[in-house]
Amino acid sequence: METRQTFEGLAAWEIAIWYGLVALSTAVLVFGCARLVMKYRRGRRLSPVEHPVRQMVRSAAAVLSHSTIRRRHPLAGLGHLLIFYGFVVLFIGTVILAFNDDFTRLFFGFDFWHGAFYLGYSLFLDVFGAALIVGLVIMAIVRGVRRPFRLNYWRPDRQPGEYDRTSYVIGDWAFLGVLFFLALTGFLLEAFRIAQHNPAFEVWSPVGWTVGQALRGVGVTGAAAGNAHFVTWWLHGVAALAFVSSIPFTKAVHTLVSPTNLAVRDERAGKRLPWVAAGAASEEVGYRLITDFSWQHLVSLDACTKCGKCHEACPATAAGYPLSPRDLVLDLREASEGALGIRAALHIEPLFDVRTPLVGNLIRPETLWSCTQCMACVEICPVGIEHVPIINQLRRGLVEQGEMDSMLQATLETIHTTGNSFGEQKRKRPRWTRDLAFQVKDIRKQPAELLWFVGDYASFDPRNQRVSRALADTLHHAGADFGILAEAEKTAGCDVRRAGEEGLWASLAEENIATIKACAFERIFSSDPHSYHTLKNEYPQLGGSWTVIHHTELLLELIESGQLRPRKRLAYRVTYHDPCTLGRYNGVYEAPRQVLAALGVELIEMPRNRANAFCCGAGGGRIWMKELRPEGVRRPSEQRIDEAVALGGIDYFVVACPKDVTMYEDAIKTSGHQGEIQLRELSELVLEALDIEPNVAVAAAKAEEAP
Amino acid sequence: MSVLVVAEHVRGRMRGVTYELVTAGRALGGPVAVAVIGRDPAALDMRREGVDEVVQVRVEQAEFENDVYQRVLEMLIAERRPQVVLLGFTVNSLGYGPAIAVRLGLGLATDVFAVRRDDGALVATRAFYGSKVHADLEFPGKESVLLLLRPTIWPPAPPGGNPKTITKAAPDLPHSRARHQEFVEPPRADVDIADADFLLAIGRGIGDREKIPTFEQLAQKLGATLAVSRPLVDAGWMPNSRQVGQSGKTVKPKVYLAMGISGAVQHLAGMKASGTIIAVNTDPEAAIFGTAHYGAVADLFEVAEELEKLP
Amino acid sequence: MKLVVCVKQVKVLGDEVGFTADSRDVDPDYLDLALNEWDACATEEALRIRERLGEGEVVAITAAPAGPELALRRCLAMGVDRAIRVESAAVDPISIARALAGAVGGESPDLVLCGVQSSDVVQGSTGTALAELLELPRVAVVTKIDWSGSGPATVYRELEGGLIDVVEVDTPALLTVQTGINQPRYATLRAIKLAEQKEIPAVPAPDRAEPAYRVRRMFAPPKGQGAKILQGPPADVARQIADIVKERLK
Repeated sequence: METRQTFEGLAAWEIAIWYGLVALSTAVLVFGCARLVMKYRRGRRLSPVEHPVRQMVRSAAAVLSHSTIRRRHPLAGLGHLLIFYGFVVLFIGTVILAFNDDFTRLFFGFDFWHGAFYLGYSLFLDVFGAALIVGLVIMAIVRGVRRPFRLNYWRPDRQPGEYDRTSYVIGDWAFLGVLFFLALTGFLLEAFRIAQHNPAFEVWSPVGWTVGQALRGVGVTGAAAGNAHFVTWWLHGVAALAFVSSIPFTKAVHTLVSPTNLAVRDERAGKRLPWVAAGAASEEVGYRLITDFSWQHLVSLDACTKCGKCHEACPATAAGYPLSPRDLVLDLREASEGALGIRAALHIEPLFDVRTPLVGNLIRPETLWSCTQCMACVEICPVGIEHVPIINQLRRGLVEQGEMDSMLQATLETIHTTGNSFGEQKRKRPRWTRDLAFQVKDIRKQPAELLWFVGDYASFDPRNQRVSRALADTLHHAGADFGILAEAEKTAGCDVRRAGEEGLWASLAEENIATIKACAFERIFSSDPHSYHTLKNEYPQLGGSWTVIHHTELLLELIESGQLRPRKRLAYRVTYHDPCTLGRYNGVYEAPRQVLAALGVELIEMPRNRANAFCCGAGGGRIWMKELRPEGVRRPSEQRIDEAVALGGIDYFVVACPKDVTMYEDAIKTSGHQGEIQLRELSELVLEALDIEPNVAVAAAKAEEAP
Repeated sequence: MSVLVVAEHVRGRMRGVTYELVTAGRALGGPVAVAVIGRDPAALDMRREGVDEVVQVRVEQAEFENDVYQRVLEMLIAERRPQVVLLGFTVNSLGYGPAIAVRLGLGLATDVFAVRRDDGALVATRAFYGSKVHADLEFPGKESVLLLLRPTIWPPAPPGGNPKTITKAAPDLPHSRARHQEFVEPPRADVDIADADFLLAIGRGIGDREKIPTFEQLAQKLGATLAVSRPLVDAGWMPNSRQVGQSGKTVKPKVYLAMGISGAVQHLAGMKASGTIIAVNTDPEAAIFGTAHYGAVADLFEVAEELEKLP
Repeated sequence: MKLVVCVKQVKVLGDEVGFTADSRDVDPDYLDLALNEWDACATEEALRIRERLGEGEVVAITAAPAGPELALRRCLAMGVDRAIRVESAAVDPISIARALAGAVGGESPDLVLCGVQSSDVVQGSTGTALAELLELPRVAVVTKIDWSGSGPATVYRELEGGLIDVVEVDTPALLTVQTGINQPRYATLRAIKLAEQKEIPAVPAPDRAEPAYRVRRMFAPPKGQGAKILQGPPADVARQIADIVKERLK
């Protein structure tokens, strides 16, 4: 009959020892898991998981499909897929066997582990065992031969010599090594068993069969094979049990914590930052100690597998700023472990005192201020870690204590007094409309279908004022009914919130909401992705809920409805830069592209586009802060222009965000590419394609000016 | 109008502002008396045109101390009853001028940059609201008025003249409650931008700390001294000794070339008396163009590069 | 141990100006209110002295008419313990000093800190005048304070050109503080909102005194022609600048 004897060659007392070890291993595993849970419980309960069941299902789906792991790195993704399914199938195989032996046969006298089932089982397991080995080899090649940047443990926030990552490297290779050892011994013991008895049906275990035949070929049969089998069996068994019980204490913990993190994370992390109640005590604002972290964030710190995808995607890291999202998470994890975790419980160094403030002792403030809050890290992280909200919370803690970059402080004070980051008197806000040939509606006084929330840069910065006028002309020509808030508009506060000044954001939002509520309109649109984002996603937290769209979406609507008819085909070669707050934050990738298509331009995609777009470096309040980049390294915006120019023959670098306009106009000059490429905002191209009479008022004024 | 000027000196040298006060006093008609208070007042040169009388008062203290100057001056004012007392709008004066005004019930105005007699009454002109508006002040019912005049507005009185010299004994000075201990030199052996004929001033428009060397080089090439507006000092990129403006230095060079400076009024206050002001800024609406004699709406880095290239 | 800070809520004028009917002042419509920058430094310095000494009460006092109290609220948000408003419409430094004297003296302070000047009137005189009325030793334009909490203090006075005069001053004293002495701490909006809950008592001013001056007329400064614009590409501009410089430096 097709089956095999479990525990073959083991005396009863040896089997008893085995089960004893199983019990011990399980106990250690349970202890480890329990300590982890106790660690997470030290975190705060700031907000509940919004849709636990739905998220568990999504997490399971992500794990089973490996959708998040395979992104951008298909080879490593494949390797992990093979390892994962290999291990899981083999593990389930053992469980099935135990179920048969220790449950159904024991209690019901029913044995199913034989015959066709056994053969199928054997084949399945052998194939997946082989897959496991292939997966491990792939990973070893990636890590050892290809050595990609993301797996390099270089960190930008410390001097070389200030840190030692050897233990990480050893841990990584040990992990691969242990799994390889398990797979190898698994096949070997199968081979020895087959070599010993050589039952014909074991051809259904192809790998074991082949190796077994080879062993027989060199004379390893009978008792010799039996002894070898015995030894290998124990090696494999003890190693497997040791591995399982080590899970909570090693890199292997990600197998438990990462899917858990996917199930408990905030799906709107970074996009909708958490609200702080007005009456909250000062100590409750932001993260200062490791115990200030939400329990979900503590879970996320342990989910990190050091895959380095965030490190690779981060614009700050690329420009040499003292920030790597990966290293921030790992530092916080060390603190969490050393203060609250298993190491803390067992008093194993390095320890971390729970009462020590994180920033200034473990984390440099410059690390936090280097972040542009672009969400590239959160977006690519396969296990759902929320670097951006964590940085935001740490910033809130600093702001609450008044510890921030002096330029940022000055800007926040300016915003508080004048309602804009330029320090301009509010009566100057609508001045950009003066050069238009028509009167822009003041929506406080006259109802209109569309409320145009213009934003600071688009109102006060001269280069962006040209864009605003181009958009106004375009919309006017299309017959769109729109109005602006004029002097009453205050900065929407998106970056104020991201810089960590929650109270100022709330104050600005409340004022804007009151102003907007007093107007009559149907929808809001903004030409500034930051304003668009916070109006749409975060103002509802304070009672301001409307339909909000971006101007590129509006332009597309008008084109599709026929109200906007491009008359000239623009035969340019252009490339388009997805703004972070429009793209990654809100998923608006297609509307601007469809607008470009309607204009007839030839669009060459940036190598890093859509969700992988590379941030200009201005967001998160960084445009208001001191330069933190070391000498000689190119700014993120310069690197982006290099990327565009490398495409070859690009006429225009097209953007859809006022800060991008400012950053990239500057970068084109300072990167040395002036003359090779020019910048256009999307509205400017649309206006050009309309081929309408130049603005009458402007033409007249210019005629007067010329001497 | 009888005028009493208080001489200001430090470390044995007369400060230029003293001679400017003489010119201002002369313009009011005079007679002009100058009080020189110190350990060795005779060593300080007051032979200037327009000085009618030099009153030397010897005190123990070699350097300025609030209480000393206040007591001496109160004595002089009580005795001589000048109609106008002129001090420079300086750090020293702020320490005692207003105190005298309170104690003796004098009229008081500081940072005055124009004075005149109108129907026998004194009218002083100064700025308000961060230099954005000017105002004429009068002092009805005040027998004596104490004015602190803005330095570098009046030309210094030229050497010459033959003033009468009087020596007065110091009054009984009670314990000086704020006592000079020593001087500490400014941290960098830096230039005094107020002395330069040609200043190249840079502002927020340069964008980045790492651009400063470019402009230091340009200044050297042009034979100019580098000065900065406040934002660069606030950011910690340059020392305060280089700052032009209300909280920095007031300068009056022959040529002031401002690049990347928008012209915040606090900055203008410090340089608008310059001989020729040239401004380069990318913003055509920049306030500095209202004060500058010449302007260029251009990218300052490009212009800087071109200036470097010139022979 | 008590530290008193005298603060002023200054009026900030933007780029445009209109005057009152009698032309003696700017039309309030054109003015915003803010805490005087020098007084923010004074407040910060008082808080730091308190932190260094580990004890002491910090009181902020202003002389102002009834109305928005954002200067005092900002001080409270920064961490001062109490704030007092002396009801007064005085504008010139001597009158303001007279208004403050009663309230400040009433606190029996160990140290009084004022800003060197206010950004709207810029007379630089209130502090010294107040010291005289209170008969306190004083030092003006201080950039560093070294004080153990009792006995004389050693302060740095920053003279023109950056030269430092080290002065020993008897305490209690009044010091006027120059910007640059510290970076005033940021008062978060949250803290400001919490400060709005605190009570600020208003005390009457002493009888009206003679102002130090009277504004006869306030006017916009005479505008220059405006700059003569140099035309052309950067190379031309550079050449023109070089020519002007050479001409003027002759």
